[in-house]
Amino acid sequence: MGVYAITGGSSGIGAKTVELLKKRGNQVVNIDLKKCDIQANLATPEGRQKAIDELHRMHPDGLDGLICSAGVSGACGNLELIISLNFFGTISIVKGVYDLLKKKGGTCVVTTSNTISQGAARMDIADLLNNNNDDEQRLLNLVSRMDGTNLSVGNSIYVATKYALARWMRRHSASYAANGVRINAVAPGNVNTAMTATMSSNAKSALNALPIPTKYGRETLMDPEEIASVIVFLSSDDARGVNGNVMFVDGGTDALLNTEKVY
Amino acid sequence: MKPIQQFIEVIENKDFAALGALFTPDGHYCDYCANGTAQHEYHLYGKEAIAMFFRNKFLFRQYSIMGAAVLDDRHAEFIASFGGYNIMAIVTLQQLSEDGHIKRLTVRPK
Repeated sequence: MGVYAITGGSSGIGAKTVELLKKRGNQVVNIDLKKCDIQANLATPEGRQKAIDELHRMHPDGLDGLICSAGVSGACGNLELIISLNFFGTISIVKGVYDLLKKKGGTCVVTTSNTISQGAARMDIADLLNNNNDDEQRLLNLVSRMDGTNLSVGNSIYVATKYALARWMRRHSASYAANGVRINAVAPGNVNTAMTATMSSNAKSALNALPIPTKYGRETLMDPEEIASVIVFLSSDDARGVNGNVMFVDGGTDALLNTEKVY
Repeated sequence: MKPIQQFIEVIENKDFAALGALFTPDGHYCDYCANGTAQHEYHLYGKEAIAMFFRNKFLFRQYSIMGAAVLDDRHAEFIASFGGYNIMAIVTLQQLSEDGHIKRLTVRPK
């Protein structure tokens, strides 16, 4: 069985993924803020470096997989945190342990969101993240001037980070695969997690307007296990032919809202 | 009230549930106007899908109509706004079931 590292494995989709991986006999290293194996704040460069250093110390022979689940919602009220954790926190860890993944021909799964297909992203921010991601502080300064208390602004920045993350994965997937490392993304629909449980009524109303066809007639969200099982699949050898793919795991929301997008 | 009038009324009121209920279980809603906007054509099959789809579009202000005029039992025209991009449109009830539900509806640029 393999050795997997996961970010945000203490709750929500991440916690369920840890559970499923362990059930299959894998060893899992959880990087989070609490109830974890490596305590590190991935919103900061120092926290990211700490996590990378610890993983190298613990598993110098390599990793079979890296799963990036850490993130905050657009309703968190902190636009800089959305950018620094969701985007930079993810790509920094992937880049930082790429050498460990190469050693074992490992896999990587990043968590984006099905909202990337719904046209709500601030595309200028997404473009800046993809094209100028060596200038994190400048980008943080830019979003710090925006109104973080405005839910639609928060959502547009959140979607931008997830869009940029999916595009970053696509841009790197061919090179990674040529070096023996598969990288893919899952795009979950709205999931029952601590993140969604604490949302305001306005935010919940917006959630319910993203209907989940498999949950039709029930004002309910997806179960974390529905997402985690796909992450585990993408991380497994069963998915050895899958690379550079953004897999929507949203009960059909994307298909409902974008019937004409087949590619 | 005739089906074409009901259709206009529920769209104007942004009543997604009532909109879905106007259709047969496998009813088809086809809107070609979105080409040229930031959105894709609408091809929706089934009353549940129609209701779910428009719940999203209405709440996020991605679809609305104004200046509607019923032309006859099968046709009406209006200005459709796709997230602020306006198109003069004409709707046609192509097929109705015996009990008056919509089996196929098309919206095209006028």
